[in-house]
Amino acid sequence: MEINNLFNLKGKIAIVTGGGNGIGKSCALYLANAGASLAVSDLKLEDAQAVADEINAGGGKAIAVECNVTEDTHLVKLVEKTTSELGGVHILVNNAGGGGGGRESPYKISVDDFAWRFKLNVYSAWRLSQLCAPYMKEAGYGSIINITSMASINISPNMSAYASSKAALNHMTANLAMDYGVDKIRVNAVGPGATKTAALASVLTPEIEAKMLAHTPIKRLGDVEDIAGAVLYFASPVSEWVSGQVIFVNGGGVQTLD
Amino acid sequence: MSTIEKLFSFEGKVIIITGAAGAIGSTAGHLFASLGANVVISDLNEEGAIKVAKEIEKESGKATLGIKTDATNEEDLEKLVSETIKKFGKISGLINNVGWGANTPIWESNSEKMVKSYLLNTVGSYNLTKMCMPYLEKEPNASVVFSGSLVGVSPSPEFIEYSTAKAGLMNMVRSMAVISGPRVRFNTVLIGSVDNGDSTLAAGYTPEMLKALSDMFVMKRRGTPVEIAYGMMFLMSDAAQWITGIDLRIDGGGSYKSKMPKKED
Repeated sequence: MEINNLFNLKGKIAIVTGGGNGIGKSCALYLANAGASLAVSDLKLEDAQAVADEINAGGGKAIAVECNVTEDTHLVKLVEKTTSELGGVHILVNNAGGGGGGRESPYKISVDDFAWRFKLNVYSAWRLSQLCAPYMKEAGYGSIINITSMASINISPNMSAYASSKAALNHMTANLAMDYGVDKIRVNAVGPGATKTAALASVLTPEIEAKMLAHTPIKRLGDVEDIAGAVLYFASPVSEWVSGQVIFVNGGGVQTLD
Repeated sequence: MSTIEKLFSFEGKVIIITGAAGAIGSTAGHLFASLGANVVISDLNEEGAIKVAKEIEKESGKATLGIKTDATNEEDLEKLVSETIKKFGKISGLINNVGWGANTPIWESNSEKMVKSYLLNTVGSYNLTKMCMPYLEKEPNASVVFSGSLVGVSPSPEFIEYSTAKAGLMNMVRSMAVISGPRVRFNTVLIGSVDNGDSTLAAGYTPEMLKALSDMFVMKRRGTPVEIAYGMMFLMSDAAQWITGIDLRIDGGGSYKSKMPKKED
C-alpha cells in the first residue's frame, strides 16, 4: 500500500477558517500536501494570502478569502467563492475561534461578550456546516472537523462563557454526525492542549510552562503539526467509518494557565 | 519523501500484533508491513499465525515472524518477546489486539467465567506490555495500541464477562499513559461492530440479524477490518506523537444505539 494513496486528497476541496496562522495554517499545509485544493480564510486577508501563496508556490492550488466568521454574509461569501473558484467543497476545518485567553468573571461579563463567544465558536461552525453540507452530499464525500479546546472538558475559573461555548461545539459535533452520517458526511472534532502558537506565547511564562509540563506525560507543549496530524486523519478516507468523535491532542495531560 | 510519507512511514520499526490470525489483526499486519514495518504475527492459532506471516512476507517483501501465543500463558508471552528480539533485535510498537467474549445472559456467569475473561482480555495485555516495556522505552515514538470495544463503555448485559474485562482494559491503558510518557504512548481503538466475514455467521448470527445491526449505525453499515487498522496506524504514527491516553472510537458514528441484536429483535 502506498502511503500517499491512503491520504490522497487529490480532487478534494477544503476550507480552513483561521487558516492564516498557527494551527489553521498547519492544517492547510498538511491538507495541501495530501493533494487537496484549499480555500484559506482568515480575518486578515494578507495572512490568508501568504499561506495560499506558499501552497501555490509549492505546486498546490489555493485561494485566500477574507472572512469574519461572526458575520453571516462573510460565511455565505466564503462558501460561494470556494465553490465557484475551486468547484465544490469536501472538507471543512472550523478552526477560527477565540475568546479563551481573557478571563471573564461571571459577575462582570456582559451579555454581548457571552453571546460573541458563542457566535464565534459555535454558530460559525454550525452555519458553515449548513452551507457546505449540500456540496458534500452531492459529492458523496464530506468531512467536517471542528477545532475545540481542552476548556470544553476542563473546569477553570472565570472561563464559563468560553468553556461552555466549546462544550457546545463538542455536542454539536456528535449531533451533526448523526444528522449527516447517512449522506456520507462525517463530523469530528480535535481538541488541542497547550499548543505553541502566537496566542499561547502572549500569555505563557516559564513558570506556567513548567507547571503545564508537570501535568503532561509527553513532556513538551504541542506543536501545530500535532494538531494538523489529527485533522489529516479525520479529513482522509482512512477514517471513513469514524464520526461524531472528539479527540484530545494534549500529550496525555491537562495544561491550564492557572 | 513527502511530509505525509514521513509521517506514516514505519520503515525500521518492529511491531508485535496479538490475535493477528483474525480479520482485524491480520489486516493490521498487512498494513504496517506495507508501510515498512517488520511485523510479528502472534495468535493462539499457530497454523493461522504462520500462514498470515508468510502471506505478509510474500506481499510486502518484509521479514515477518509467525508465532503461537496463548495470551493467558506467561511463558508463551515471554517466548513471544524473546523470539521477537532474537529475530529483529527490538520492539518499536505493540498492538494488544487479542480478545474474545462469549454471549452469556447476565445472571448465568460465575467466578470462573468472569476471571477467565479478565485473564484473557485484560491481564494478558498487561503482562505482555510489561514484558515489552524495557524494549519500547529504547525506541523513538514507541507506541502501544489496545483493541477496546464499545461493549466496554455501554451497558452490555449479554456480554457481561467480556464487557467488564474490556472496561478494565481501557482504564488500565489510561493509567499506563499517564505514567509512561514521554517515552511510550498508550491509546485504545474503541471498535464498533466489524464485518469479520464468515466468523460472525459461524458465531450464530443470521444475515437478517446482521442487517438489523448494520441499520443501527448512523452510516448504515458495519465497519471493515481495514478501517480499524487505519485507526491503529494513525495512533502509532509520527502524526500522533503528542497523543496518549485517548480512546479513538471507530464505530460508524453509531455508538448510541448499536448492539448485537437478539434473535427476536
